[in-house]
Amino acid sequence: MPTPDSAAATPSVAAGPMSNSDQSASSSRRHKLLSEALGIVRKPQRALPLLLAVTGDGLRSRTQSTNLYSYATTSVSTEVALPRVIDWITRAQKPDGGIPAYYSLLTGYSKSYPEVTGYIVPTLYDFLHLAGDTGIKDRAERATRWLLSLQMSNGAFPAGLENDGGEPSIFNTGQMLQGLVRAYRETNQADILLAANRAGNWLAEIQQPDGSWSGAGAYQGVPHTYYSMVAWSLALLAEVSKTGAHARAAERNLAWVLAHMRPNGWIDGINLQGYPTFLHFIAYVIQGVLECGILRGTRDAIRAAQQSAWKLLRKFELQKQLLGAYSGSFDSGMTFSCLTGNAQMSCVWLRLSEVTGDLRFLNAALKMNEMLKELLPAHGRNAGGVAGSHPIWGSYQPMRYISWGCKFLADALMLELRLKRSFEASTCAS
Amino acid sequence: MAAHLSQSGHSLVGALTLPTLHRKTLLRKVAQWGPRESARYAWTKLAARENGDRRSVRNPYLEKFLLHNNKTLRNLHEVASAYNFSMLVCRDQNSKEAIAQVEKWAPDAAVFTGGNILRQALLAIPRIGVLNAHLALLPQIRGMSSPEWSLLCDVPLAITIHLMDTGIDTGPVLLQRTFEIPAQCASLTDLRNRMIAAGIEHTPEALAGLEQGSIRPKAQSDLDCDHQYFVTHDWLKTQASARLSAKRAIPAGKAR
Repeated sequence: MPTPDSAAATPSVAAGPMSNSDQSASSSRRHKLLSEALGIVRKPQRALPLLLAVTGDGLRSRTQSTNLYSYATTSVSTEVALPRVIDWITRAQKPDGGIPAYYSLLTGYSKSYPEVTGYIVPTLYDFLHLAGDTGIKDRAERATRWLLSLQMSNGAFPAGLENDGGEPSIFNTGQMLQGLVRAYRETNQADILLAANRAGNWLAEIQQPDGSWSGAGAYQGVPHTYYSMVAWSLALLAEVSKTGAHARAAERNLAWVLAHMRPNGWIDGINLQGYPTFLHFIAYVIQGVLECGILRGTRDAIRAAQQSAWKLLRKFELQKQLLGAYSGSFDSGMTFSCLTGNAQMSCVWLRLSEVTGDLRFLNAALKMNEMLKELLPAHGRNAGGVAGSHPIWGSYQPMRYISWGCKFLADALMLELRLKRSFEASTCAS
Repeated sequence: MAAHLSQSGHSLVGALTLPTLHRKTLLRKVAQWGPRESARYAWTKLAARENGDRRSVRNPYLEKFLLHNNKTLRNLHEVASAYNFSMLVCRDQNSKEAIAQVEKWAPDAAVFTGGNILRQALLAIPRIGVLNAHLALLPQIRGMSSPEWSLLCDVPLAITIHLMDTGIDTGPVLLQRTFEIPAQCASLTDLRNRMIAAGIEHTPEALAGLEQGSIRPKAQSDLDCDHQYFVTHDWLKTQASARLSAKRAIPAGKAR
């Protein structure tokens, strides 16, 4: 979930003195939270799972002791956890191929969310190659066909949930582009490449001269550094489209984002007015910069991503958790965990370990994955589901299991397996 | 350490120690080792096990330092009594009570053998400073699980005796000795035990060198204070163990 602008987001946190836009965002959040709470009145049978989840997290929060050795030992194997996480996604997928944004303990499944469906496609293909599960191939293809049906005449994809009448969205188009590029690589179907090119052309055309994206298609109309994820998608597209405009657009945005990364690792320009800077968005910036930097061979980008990622690694190792949101220079934060942000940081650390050879990143990611695996429900409707926050009532996507959390955890677990195998092979060879 | 320092001719004035079995320590051990090993740990801490006239010591390579009048000293209390120095059991080595006691002892030097991260108030008391035997080369491998990280990062195994400052293993280096892996080294635990013993072996040498002026503290070069190593995940520990086995198989001269 890239932006808090969809119906999916109901963070309940007030962040400092409020401007008019902050007040309107807050009032809209209150309204959404209230209407969501009414879901339990409409379906009282949801009360028991809700009570169990809240009680379970309450007990865990009180009893778990996080210390120097927390998460150094495997309690749930990755080979067991990974299929569970993928199962959550496939159970949620609708017959038309769309994947809901979340399952709310109050209101049940949301409508399908195009953006998340888009970037889950590469995850499904990765799992297909890892596990050889042919059913997954069909699911990835259905998801792709559903995405193609949503493309607008200008090449963009809409904001928001399915049938919400969303306007063209820069970020969502970028995220869906990841799925289209991967689907083309897997199937070699010309219509998928055509759709991807149209999306990429639209993104390149509306980019600002300074490399940012702002205006109508940008969330809240302002530029955001977490749109580095769009730059990554364009860099991916450039590899298959061989179009200079796509590569240049990716590099221009990367340069703009790098100008916002401070030497102490903090990133300016995330710019979520009325919302705290959730770890999810911080991790987006770092992941986008890193992956785009790798694809475009930009060492400065890899170095900048490494600097921010190390800052968070140090916090995780010393405090045994990453906070759900941070403010200025990582100085302060909120006490809940944003689990999807944690999974994204695990992906970033694993890739950094792969690129730089620094095993400290792998070590931190292994421990982070242990924590995330321990928090997966083992039974019930949400078995294998990743909650928005821990505890589940935390401010990021409260009372929900979110599909993009599952996507990032599945990515992290598959990266973990890949790196472990490659390390073992190198040990054997030496 | 205390016993070996005494045997090397140093005059000990006192020792600060943490409670034998503190609740937090036990919890940490449960998380680190699991319930069975932690129960064993608690048992060895709480109940002395007689083995003829020798009492068992957790690290077998320390026994040579603990022999006193044909008996093996089992804990710090017995060492303090045998070598006639006082000791204070404290919850935190940085507490006011602990600092007041160390000020009263007014030692020329102190040696750190584990516990809390020491704060400046305590570090500033000994005239010469506080020494630490770190189980790796500095500045290459700072922080936790240092023998494991040395193996994983292909850094030669070594002992570094250094003066402590408020950073993590960032203080000036006094002495470094590379550590050859003996052919009989059975496991990472065995390696660590051997390295701890080697650290104890070399500490009096560093202390004497400092006192006599033959060793001058050398600031660590290329120090990046932010980038230490942290506790290794079990999987990486297994990989380190595999590398230990591989290195052990290589003749000693080529081990590094």
